[in-house]
Amino acid sequence: HTAGCFITDNVGQFFSSGHTNNWAVLVCTSRFWFNYRHVANTLSVYRSVKRLGIPDSHIVLMLADDMACNHRNPKPATVFSHKNMELNVYGDDVEVDYRGYEVTVENFLRVLTGRLPPSTPRSKRLLSDDRSNILIYLTGHGGNGFLKFQDSEEISNVELADAFEQMWQKRRYNELLFIIDTCQGASMYERFYSPNLMALASSQVGEDSLSHQPDVGIGVHLMDRYTFYLLEFLEDIHPASKTCMNDLFKVCPKSQCVSTPGHRTDLFLRDPGSVLVTDFFGSVRKVEITMDSINLTSVVSHRKEEPAANGELQKEVYSYSDQLPVSEIIHQKPKQRDWHPPDGFILGLWTLILLVFFQTYGIKHLKHIF
Amino acid sequence: MQPHTVKHGQFCSLKVHFVVYKQLNFPTPLSRDGRRAAAPLSKMAAPLTLLFLLAVTVRAALFNSSLKELISDRVEVVSPLTAWKRVIEGLALLDLGVSPYSGDVFHETPLVIYLFHFVVDYAEVTFMLADLITAGCLYMAVKDYNKQVFRKQKFALEADRYPLDCLELIRSPKEMHYIPLKVAMFYLLNPFTILSCVARSTCCLNNAVIALFILSTIKGNLLLSAVFLSLATYQCLYPLVLVAPALLYLLQHQYIPVNFRRPNFWWLVAQYLFMFGGSLLVVVCLSFFLLGSWDFLSSVYGFILSVPDLTPNIGLFWYFFAEMFEHFRLFFLCVFQINVFFYTIPLSLKLKDHPVFLIFMQLSIISIFKSYPTVGDSALYLSFLPVWTHLHRFLRNIFLVSCLLLASSLLFPVLWHLWIYAGSANSNFYYAITLVFNVAQILLVSDYFYAFLRREHHLTYGLYLKRKDGSEAAMVLK
Repeated sequence: HTAGCFITDNVGQFFSSGHTNNWAVLVCTSRFWFNYRHVANTLSVYRSVKRLGIPDSHIVLMLADDMACNHRNPKPATVFSHKNMELNVYGDDVEVDYRGYEVTVENFLRVLTGRLPPSTPRSKRLLSDDRSNILIYLTGHGGNGFLKFQDSEEISNVELADAFEQMWQKRRYNELLFIIDTCQGASMYERFYSPNLMALASSQVGEDSLSHQPDVGIGVHLMDRYTFYLLEFLEDIHPASKTCMNDLFKVCPKSQCVSTPGHRTDLFLRDPGSVLVTDFFGSVRKVEITMDSINLTSVVSHRKEEPAANGELQKEVYSYSDQLPVSEIIHQKPKQRDWHPPDGFILGLWTLILLVFFQTYGIKHLKHIF
Repeated sequence: MQPHTVKHGQFCSLKVHFVVYKQLNFPTPLSRDGRRAAAPLSKMAAPLTLLFLLAVTVRAALFNSSLKELISDRVEVVSPLTAWKRVIEGLALLDLGVSPYSGDVFHETPLVIYLFHFVVDYAEVTFMLADLITAGCLYMAVKDYNKQVFRKQKFALEADRYPLDCLELIRSPKEMHYIPLKVAMFYLLNPFTILSCVARSTCCLNNAVIALFILSTIKGNLLLSAVFLSLATYQCLYPLVLVAPALLYLLQHQYIPVNFRRPNFWWLVAQYLFMFGGSLLVVVCLSFFLLGSWDFLSSVYGFILSVPDLTPNIGLFWYFFAEMFEHFRLFFLCVFQINVFFYTIPLSLKLKDHPVFLIFMQLSIISIFKSYPTVGDSALYLSFLPVWTHLHRFLRNIFLVSCLLLASSLLFPVLWHLWIYAGSANSNFYYAITLVFNVAQILLVSDYFYAFLRREHHLTYGLYLKRKDGSEAAMVLK
């Protein structure tokens, strides 16, 4: 009985964060062997996110080049994040969804907004809904207001902000955490204007993000500083951790990173101190096993007061938007013909044809027809 | 000069008449004025039906194969005027509420929109039907024409107008019996026609209207001939040159000599031109009422005349206009377009007694020199070749022309692939083959013209020329 009371009292906690599923979009935008560290960055975040519970079906991993099987990799099928080959972030169960030349600005934006052709498999789609918390991690080479993809195209901060606005309007996320590890990374979150976005960057405008350590055995720098320290931070997180975002903002101070990491929380509705790191990096399910049945009516009324208390943004109730339009694919309607020739035209044409016919062949044929 | 020769000549003429009458024993009896009632099709119905079935089978087989899409894209078979893709696009634009003539997509006439609005789901059947109509009309027209040729020949024989040594040039009904079937066969089984039909090019519809025009002209029906010719002109603009042979034929049919002082002549010409102009006006106004705007005039006729689209095809315009400087463009446009219409005058003067051959010549000139020719246009005049098989002995370039035609037809897709896909050739290669093809066509047509005129000459002056003293002479063309 006491267990049941405990649960009834604390059942509000089940609905406090507002999200029911987690997604992660992890993108490495650089090619070539000397950008090994960007792939290692992305794979280390992937590893942490997977370790903390987000399954591969909810992770969209985009790697612009293959380092593990690169000809210059002296240790094939591995990608190391620490020198002396301490930690292999590649492992046996990495699932890359977009690889090589598929990592383009267009594909990235299509993944975010959901505008993919009907033939795209589920593993390449971001099938999030309005109760999804999404982690977006970008790394590569960037500049003031742009991020370079594949050494041939760029995405600008305006485009990214508009993509997030589209996601908001299509109710594709509940809360979104955006982390970027490039030079002048803070410029990329300057233009955001949609609600419930929190952003972290490895360096301010005018600063370069620096790489961490080279490994003499492999011959390239293995990680970037910010992500290296982020990885160290995340290694201490486990699914039950209560670490909040304020601690994440303190990762990699200037003494360790040389650049000044930045963050932006003004668009985020909740207080960052109350946001758990596992709200974004893990897929934490609040599960309490009980044999009792619980009456939820009181919780429902309690829940309704909360949005009124929050104030600024009234979130209307929206129905689940159709991410995978299966019904449209299955039931192809036949084309409807909307245009019809005017009646006067048809009348005129056939009168003329009949006139010519009778003129040629004579009136005597009339009695054969009628 | 020697009495011996004259007597021999007279004896020969009697013998000749007897022999000729025996050979040329036409099966049905003559009526009083030499006209025959239209012989029923029943004698040739079975082979004709078989031919139609074979043609439909070949086309249906190709329609159901994977070659359909491939052929619909070939530039030799479809042009921007006749492509099926553009017709579908125009209909789709219309369904979206936009005029089909906006943009550079659709260049066919509004009546085609009207037709395909209802039959677009049965397009293949429509095109096969158009081909069958063309073949049927050509069959009946050539049958009638053969009868008239034979009748005229009979009168000329009776009037003793042929010199004695040209009897081998006289035609007999036996040899002419299978010509209509051969014409239908040449049209239906020509690879050019089959390709046009499978590509669903509206060239098949153009050919059908022109064939109906030919049939109604040969039957002597003024109204129908004017109506079909105006439809053909409305569709394609270039059949305007067929007014001259149609007039000449109808004058001949009603025994009115071409004399500018006779009121009969002017009366018939005025009637025909009035009917032609009137039906053209009516059809243009009807098209206006269909879509409610005059856009189609600039999109169809403006497009044909000003040639803005320089996609390569088997014609002569594209390469020339692609490399020309802008301020000469109008001048050369006028030159090229006048070239199509201009041959009417000298040809009509020369061939005023042979209007059907004039129709053949005009059709060939249209299909060689028009602004967007396709192989379907060539197929129409090529189907007339069996009618002139009696000219075989005077043709000089048969081997050359057939080799050129075959080689160029086979090389078109090869050089296109080399130019566009493999990148190892350039437009000059393709244009060279276009030139070869057109030179072959021109040689073919001029050869037939030469052979026709030579035969006429021989029929007037004799096959073997003799000098006054009886020894052999030869004619030298200087």
